[in-house]
Amino acid sequence: MDPDVIRSGEDQERTEVRLVARGIATAVAPEEGLTDVQADLLEAIASALTGVDVDYRSLEPLGPEELAEVLARRDLDYRQRIVHHMVLAELVLRPIPTVVAHRVHLYAEALGVKDDFVRLARRYAQGAFGLAYKDLQRNGFAAHLQGGGEGEVSPGPGRGSLDPAAAPFAPAELDPELEATWRGFAGLPPDTLGFQAWDMYDARGFELPGGPGGAPRYLAQHDFVHVLADYGTNLRGELEVFSFIGRADPDPKGFAWLATLTGLFETGYIPTTGFFDRDVRERVIQAPGMHRRVADAIRRGKEVCRANNLDLFEVDYYAVADRPVEDLRAHFAVPPKGEHALEAGSVGLFDLAGMSEIQQQAVAARRGAAQ
Amino acid sequence: MRNHNFSQTIAIRCEDPTPLIELLEQWDVDQASADIMGYMGIRLLADREEPGRYLIVADFGVVDPDVSAADEAARNNERPETQATSAAMLAHCIGEPEYHDYDELYRTDF
Repeated sequence: MDPDVIRSGEDQERTEVRLVARGIATAVAPEEGLTDVQADLLEAIASALTGVDVDYRSLEPLGPEELAEVLARRDLDYRQRIVHHMVLAELVLRPIPTVVAHRVHLYAEALGVKDDFVRLARRYAQGAFGLAYKDLQRNGFAAHLQGGGEGEVSPGPGRGSLDPAAAPFAPAELDPELEATWRGFAGLPPDTLGFQAWDMYDARGFELPGGPGGAPRYLAQHDFVHVLADYGTNLRGELEVFSFIGRADPDPKGFAWLATLTGLFETGYIPTTGFFDRDVRERVIQAPGMHRRVADAIRRGKEVCRANNLDLFEVDYYAVADRPVEDLRAHFAVPPKGEHALEAGSVGLFDLAGMSEIQQQAVAARRGAAQ
Repeated sequence: MRNHNFSQTIAIRCEDPTPLIELLEQWDVDQASADIMGYMGIRLLADREEPGRYLIVADFGVVDPDVSAADEAARNNERPETQATSAAMLAHCIGEPEYHDYDELYRTDF
């Protein structure tokens, strides 16, 4: 191909990235301008997803109609994901100014995007947290799961269901068959998905799914992704893994995960999801380097989405639990972590730095007992 | 400029608040999925001194910087679903309800 044509295409791409960035920045900026957290996060996401570096702090405004023109050739899913970047940049604000939430709504309208998360952010801005929580339950997770195929057979053993109306908020059910399956993972070779998922639970002192106090069956699905994507289990690791899962989902509603985790662990807009409870003692996204780690998780999720077009919560990991993790990473086309994320402290699943204090204590106790 | 919330109180009398609670729960479920407007939430309070007397407190906030919370409440009152729920609630009440409107001046926040 003619190099000039290639260069021309690259220039066009860069121009669009910059124009979109201007639109996003204009939409989400409070009166005093973008906060550092917003600017850092948006810059990291733009860089991770497009390879284009944009200084969000020095952008000229771009109105909703102009942004709509820029994105006219893009499909609805693409435009909706742009709106989700706006919403994410709203959700890290506490409080969200009403004027910002309303402005994002106007941008979404101009882009032809009717999105539940725009409404969610508006409810947060309004202070209607109870209504927002009901909204998130009904239209975030539940609607998403229904879209995934109501009545489908749940993957894996046991009788625990993936009831679309309740999961993942429903309390865990006792399920001896599921618990026995997880116990059986302990006998698999150490390089397999099943063994590593079991090891993650066992080392940290987690109760197994299906047993008393164990994770709900639906939520346990994400623990297999912890292994595949190699993310820790402290709040930072959880934010990474759900950023990854959310973006890997071909349905833009997968954004519910990131929106929820941000509300739980960053701004406290959400009190609980049943298994995870609000914890804002340490602002996770504001922690040094987390903007890069979240952005990289979104990038990796996007690549997995492109390769599989599959919600990772719907994968039957039990059927492949005896396969080596490396094989499965190749099968699902899970890319390695980016250098920026590693430099920013994105550690692996079995690294102590990727565990909460309580988890670290559990690991130390087990190691002590083993000696 | 601060965006003032608005509250409407409705004092009512009834023998059994159970159907009112059910109506309000359903109202909230419906509102959560509906297009956003000023409605923020509602409380039903039982009077400890006067059994059978209840106070409903409906809160409204600003969602469009150009529309006040009180105007949002007025718009809400005009909606057919509001009228229908209101009529259904009043069917369980004894006597005439007493309405009062308030602008919020202060609220304990996060």
